[in-house]
Amino acid sequence: MKIFSQKTRPYLILLATVLVLAVIDRGRGNVLSGATVFSALQYLATLGPVALGLSLTMLVREFDLSVAGVFGLAGCVAVLLGGDSPALGLAAAVLAGAASGFIQGLIITRLQMPSIGVTLGGLLTTIGLAYVLTGNQSLTFDNMDLALFLSARIGLFTPRSIVALALAAAFAMALYWLWIGRDLIAIGSDRRAAHTAGVRVDALMVLVFTTSGALAALSGALLSYSLASASPSGLSEVLVPATAAAILGGVSLSGGTGTPLGVTAGVLMLGVLRAGLNALGAPPFAHDMSMGAVLLAVAILDAPGIRAHFERLQTLTRSRTETQAP
Amino acid sequence: MKPSAISDMSIPVTPGSSRLAWITDRIDLVDGLRIAVFAALAITAVLTPGFLSVPSLLALLTTLSFVGCVAVGMTMITLSGHIMSFSLGATAAAAAVAFVHVLNIWGLAAGVAAGLATGALISAAQGLIIGSLRANPIIVSIASLALIYGILNLLTGNATLDVNSGSVLAAAWRRPFGIPVETLAFLLCLAVGQFLLSFTIFGRRVFLIGSGMRSADVLGLRVWRSVTAVYAWAGLFAGMTGILLATRYNQANMEYGVGYDYDAIAAVLVGGVAIKGGLGSMWRTLAGVCLMATAQVVLLLYGFRQEWQYLIAGLIVLLVVVLQSRRRS
Amino acid sequence: MNSLLSARDLTISFGPVQALRDVGLDLRPGEIQALCGENGAGKSTLIKVLMGIYQPDKGVVEVDGVARRIDNPQHAQQLGFALVAQELSLAPQLSVLDNIWLGDRSVPVFHRRKALREKARRALETLQVDIDLDVKVADLSIGQRQLVEIARMIARDARVLILDEPTATLSDVEIEHLFQVLRKLRAQGHAILYVTHRLGEVFEICDTVTVMRNGAHISTGAVSEVSREQLIETMLGRSFSDMYPQRLPGQGSDGLSVTGLCIDGSFENVSFDAPRGKILCLAGQIGSGAGHVIRAIGGLAPLTSGRMFLDGQPLTSMSRGSTIAFISEDRAREGLFDRSVVENLVAGQWQDHSRLGVISWTSARRRAAELAASVGIDARRLAANAFDLSGGNQQKILFARAAGGKRPGVILMNEPTRGVDIGARSEIYRLMRDLCARGYCLVMMSTDLEEVVGIADIVVPMYRGAVVARYEAEEIDISRILLDITHPRNAGEVVHEAVGH
Repeated sequence: MKIFSQKTRPYLILLATVLVLAVIDRGRGNVLSGATVFSALQYLATLGPVALGLSLTMLVREFDLSVAGVFGLAGCVAVLLGGDSPALGLAAAVLAGAASGFIQGLIITRLQMPSIGVTLGGLLTTIGLAYVLTGNQSLTFDNMDLALFLSARIGLFTPRSIVALALAAAFAMALYWLWIGRDLIAIGSDRRAAHTAGVRVDALMVLVFTTSGALAALSGALLSYSLASASPSGLSEVLVPATAAAILGGVSLSGGTGTPLGVTAGVLMLGVLRAGLNALGAPPFAHDMSMGAVLLAVAILDAPGIRAHFERLQTLTRSRTETQAP
Repeated sequence: MKPSAISDMSIPVTPGSSRLAWITDRIDLVDGLRIAVFAALAITAVLTPGFLSVPSLLALLTTLSFVGCVAVGMTMITLSGHIMSFSLGATAAAAAVAFVHVLNIWGLAAGVAAGLATGALISAAQGLIIGSLRANPIIVSIASLALIYGILNLLTGNATLDVNSGSVLAAAWRRPFGIPVETLAFLLCLAVGQFLLSFTIFGRRVFLIGSGMRSADVLGLRVWRSVTAVYAWAGLFAGMTGILLATRYNQANMEYGVGYDYDAIAAVLVGGVAIKGGLGSMWRTLAGVCLMATAQVVLLLYGFRQEWQYLIAGLIVLLVVVLQSRRRS
Repeated sequence: MNSLLSARDLTISFGPVQALRDVGLDLRPGEIQALCGENGAGKSTLIKVLMGIYQPDKGVVEVDGVARRIDNPQHAQQLGFALVAQELSLAPQLSVLDNIWLGDRSVPVFHRRKALREKARRALETLQVDIDLDVKVADLSIGQRQLVEIARMIARDARVLILDEPTATLSDVEIEHLFQVLRKLRAQGHAILYVTHRLGEVFEICDTVTVMRNGAHISTGAVSEVSREQLIETMLGRSFSDMYPQRLPGQGSDGLSVTGLCIDGSFENVSFDAPRGKILCLAGQIGSGAGHVIRAIGGLAPLTSGRMFLDGQPLTSMSRGSTIAFISEDRAREGLFDRSVVENLVAGQWQDHSRLGVISWTSARRRAAELAASVGIDARRLAANAFDLSGGNQQKILFARAAGGKRPGVILMNEPTRGVDIGARSEIYRLMRDLCARGYCLVMMSTDLEEVVGIADIVVPMYRGAVVARYEAEEIDISRILLDITHPRNAGEVVHEAVGH
């Protein structure tokens, strides 16, 4: 296998981030420490499942904006209903997320709508629902035992980060071993061809959006449990990092590429970046800026126009050398 | 299954072949529905006790103007076929900061110029990337959102910047002719926007690009120029919102304009600007802005708390997007 | 031997258009049957009926002597039918193995099975192709992809293979390999329906040939019993109607001249002179590169090398914009805007109706009305959305726009009458003659030979990216051109020459 390829890109970026931070740290051990790993894993616990769901929609060449709204909504639902039985609250939250994704998926496939428009409506609706359910208040969750359990350290892990890692592993295996993974890549890589070959495109697309909703909801609910609180605002700051993580993780905007492990590496890279910058004493906005810059760079590199520009440049230089030659 | 004749629009619908198609061809159901909703809401609003009081109306006009200017900018982006931008709210915040900063040194006129220029430049840079490289507009705007906040944070240290003189405008200027200055500014933005769209070459190109990007390429239009200009204007209008907010509160901080992107796109879509681009006007956006703001006030007056407005805004957008799909594409 | 597939009396209409009329077809095991006909003869409709994409209004399809209703492509596949369409249905990002089993409903949930891999490998072995099962399809050549698609059908136990113009995009070596594969499959008892209008291939590989024309079955017979000339006659059938206007006398002057145009992998060393007042037509099949030549002249694809002159002056990207107009075969995506007819007509000329960037609607509307009148678009339709017009009227909009400049320039056209009904066609042809009379230089590309012969003053046949010949006036002859674009006598020399330069 080639060392530099689309497949290895996320892991190389992760490695490069660690190296750069370590070099800046100059061996003081602030960056290369258990604390960095722990906080990167905590970042993964929150963002991993959301990025995973989002990357599934990007794999089939769609984009689910509503993950941000579902994430917040699920936290509120879980805290509201989970007072007596946390399991019930969690189930209700995940179900709500899945239902939201299912409905949006149906609209997108049945009406052949662009997913951006539909999920924009979904985003606004789920944010609104969260406000209505909570009465525009911050909610507190009484079950402190659960909150403590979810944040309890098990070595470098917490139950939450273990869940996120387990989900990533499960999806990685499912997409590899089951034909679903193959069919999703086919849909994202050439939807017409997939359809002609007999792939059940519409059903799989609905499944993808349902999964995306459920994953965002699970992550949001667990975060709210561990923080012992939920509020309709403030939880919605996941869209930018989730998109960045997916793209850094090797998922292409043009569909058909990306793996759960790559996306996990993408999230970890952002987590390491944040934890590392913190450890180095960089101001909090340094993380925002570097993330924005990287995302912008990838958007530019992925742009369809860049190839045309490149070709034109090549032709220009070639014709120039030709006119000079004789 | 045979392909239906209706799906092939080049075949004229013969009378009698499908009555329903004949009717829907002539009456735009979505617009009919929209007018009905506007009328119903207007009547409800007028009948609502407390709505028709002067303070209430002035408050309504002021608040809708903030989102309104961003919506004018968003309309440009949507019309040109680039769906929406997530960074116009942040652009407004950046413009507010630039405005107050320059105002404190060189005075009001320079401050306004700085605010508008900041907005236009931030946004034009994105337009250049999107137009010339055909990068995904959503992703570019999301990345820009993170970058703008990062840079703002770097520059301001997340502190609030106060106007040195205490107040941007003398009290007399807050309501010239009894109309809030915010509303005047919003109407100015609308008029400029609509003039650009209807009466300039640039405006015609916005519609052409929005209704057929490839066709515009084939025709030989320099698409990247128009797209950059579209984003520059959008940023300028968002910058106006920033200036208005700073004028209103006599200070500026990063929190200004947060969430305005969503409110603005909601208004744009509700007013009837097509999400796929190429169809719509500033008047539609004005109608959308008024509808959303009025609905909000009416809900409030009827005792619904503020949170309902978010939900209803979301549902309306979802409904409008779905209904739009039923039109010919 | 009994028929594997037998269709009788297939009839299907789309609105007022009857696409198939009482068409019959018989396919036996171990037979390669050619299905020939011009564009619009009904070949692809017949295939779609066999594959269950369309349901016929009338008629039966029998498989192994049992009448079957074919509900959808999956059902057709279960019955043992397989179609290799011109547009392949492979997912480029997947491996060869995954593509072979993609969409097969019998594959178990855990799809990575030894048995499936083995079967796929055997299918590739049958085709005698050396392709790694784990390589991505994106990394394969077009020819290899086509073989993968055939292997997919073999692995799924297809007995009836339908190949739609399989050689259009293949190189000579690849075609030779494909023919070997087909002969082998024939020996194994598969039935193959080979759709083509390359007559050379009919005689090289097929046993029987069925000819269709205007949606009807014309004849079926053994290839050994017909001559090439007879076959061409049967395919064309009718004489040319008076659809095409009179050619204009005179020599034509100056005009567009291109030399040594080349785009790597698409076409090489294309040179021709297209005088003003004449229609030059590049004739060629899909994959001949003719369409790409037109696009490249229009500035839509970057040339690797080559020079272009208009009236003796070199064309630059700056001067090109105002003098060269391109009319695409894909009107909806590459021509029209989803706006009113007025705006579509004046789309490129707002500068002429504006002062300091501010436009004058009155002036623009007046101009649009003039343009509409010049091409015969009803003035009452000016406010309508362009997409609500018929294909013919849409094409007229594009002609009016292209001819709306101040000075006559060059108009490039790809398939100018695609999607235009017969009635409107003659109007389009008349428009083209009017433009000639006004001094325009028209360069077009068409795969429809009847059109080529009917309208062109100069025909430049192309075969696999190279110009084969040039015919003017009386030299234009349909059978010669057909030979040129299918299997040119001097193709070897031409290709050799192109490489030599």
